[in-house]
Amino acid sequence: VTIELSEEASAPLNPASLSVLFIEFFKVSLLGFGGGIALAHRAAVERRRWLSEAEFADALTLCQFMPGPNVVGIAVCIGAKTRGAAGAMAAFIGFAMIPGAIGFGLALLYLSRTGIPLVQNILSGLSAAAAGLMLATGLRLLKPHIRDPRVVAFAGLAFAGLAIARFPLLLVLAVLTPLSIATAVIARGRCP
Amino acid sequence: MTPITRLALFLALMSSISFGGIPPVLPDIRHFVVDTNGWLTDQDFANFFALAQTIPGPNMILMMTLIGWKVSGLVGAVAAAGATAVPPCTMYFVGYRLWDRCRDKPWQRVARASLAPLTFGLIVAGGTVMAQTVDKSWGAVAVTAAAATLLLATRVNPLWLLGAAGALGAFGLV
Repeated sequence: VTIELSEEASAPLNPASLSVLFIEFFKVSLLGFGGGIALAHRAAVERRRWLSEAEFADALTLCQFMPGPNVVGIAVCIGAKTRGAAGAMAAFIGFAMIPGAIGFGLALLYLSRTGIPLVQNILSGLSAAAAGLMLATGLRLLKPHIRDPRVVAFAGLAFAGLAIARFPLLLVLAVLTPLSIATAVIARGRCP
Repeated sequence: MTPITRLALFLALMSSISFGGIPPVLPDIRHFVVDTNGWLTDQDFANFFALAQTIPGPNMILMMTLIGWKVSGLVGAVAAAGATAVPPCTMYFVGYRLWDRCRDKPWQRVARASLAPLTFGLIVAGGTVMAQTVDKSWGAVAVTAAAATLLLATRVNPLWLLGAAGALGAFGLV
């Protein structure tokens, strides 16, 4: 069985403008509360149609397997995909630089006072929902491949290793990556 | 070397090897800034971590910014933020360009078919671990479950879900 995760979307994709890239990632960053991947998917794939579902999964995969803050990577990759270096810069400024400066100001303000209970309550609601959004985004990306036992098995193993057994990420990746590559090669039915 | 330079070089090294995001290298960073250099106390480090979680925006970059601020004020903050963000972002950009250009190469088909399933599992795991950390009541667990179910089953905008959850929190229900 040949596994092809890169099939193109049937409908044509829209071009992106630098200012809209900036605004979208600014929103994803400020409103994400740890659920940034779900919001980036909503903006780039569903609403703006800059990338296909497969291209999004592709960028996400690359970011997961590279060092650094992964969600920032998504912004850089989507910017690079749609508008090259300028797009990557616009998405980065919108996602990281401006919100970072705002967050830094808020943090200094917060450190100069004690926490306000109402703010704490709102934040616990937001972070609970953000965790659910992240969970659902992973499942949604998995959904197109639900009939492929190899994909489901390795997604399940990665989940179990990290979330249930609580092994360190590097250990999970060091064990599962070679196995996954080996089975993918065998599934393609030829030598590498 | 000044403390700013040493901190910036160390953070640049850490962010360049932080596979899986910054959290896995946090123990090393704590060791460097608390034990080795004594720039922060353990309490400062824990406070900055908790604070960064509750402020919108890229939270690990913010945490490093606060460490830089503690080490040497505004210049330290800017240096720490740059050292944390710039090396990985450069790698993302260059890496993605190569990755995207070689979309149809056979090696990449194999890489994609092997790495994508792990990515899906890691993201679901990330959400689960985050839920285990932040969900301190049954109400919070219900909010996490409801948000996940609604995002999967409907085409609702996730911002509505976040807004509703924030409102429930404001009424003390989470």
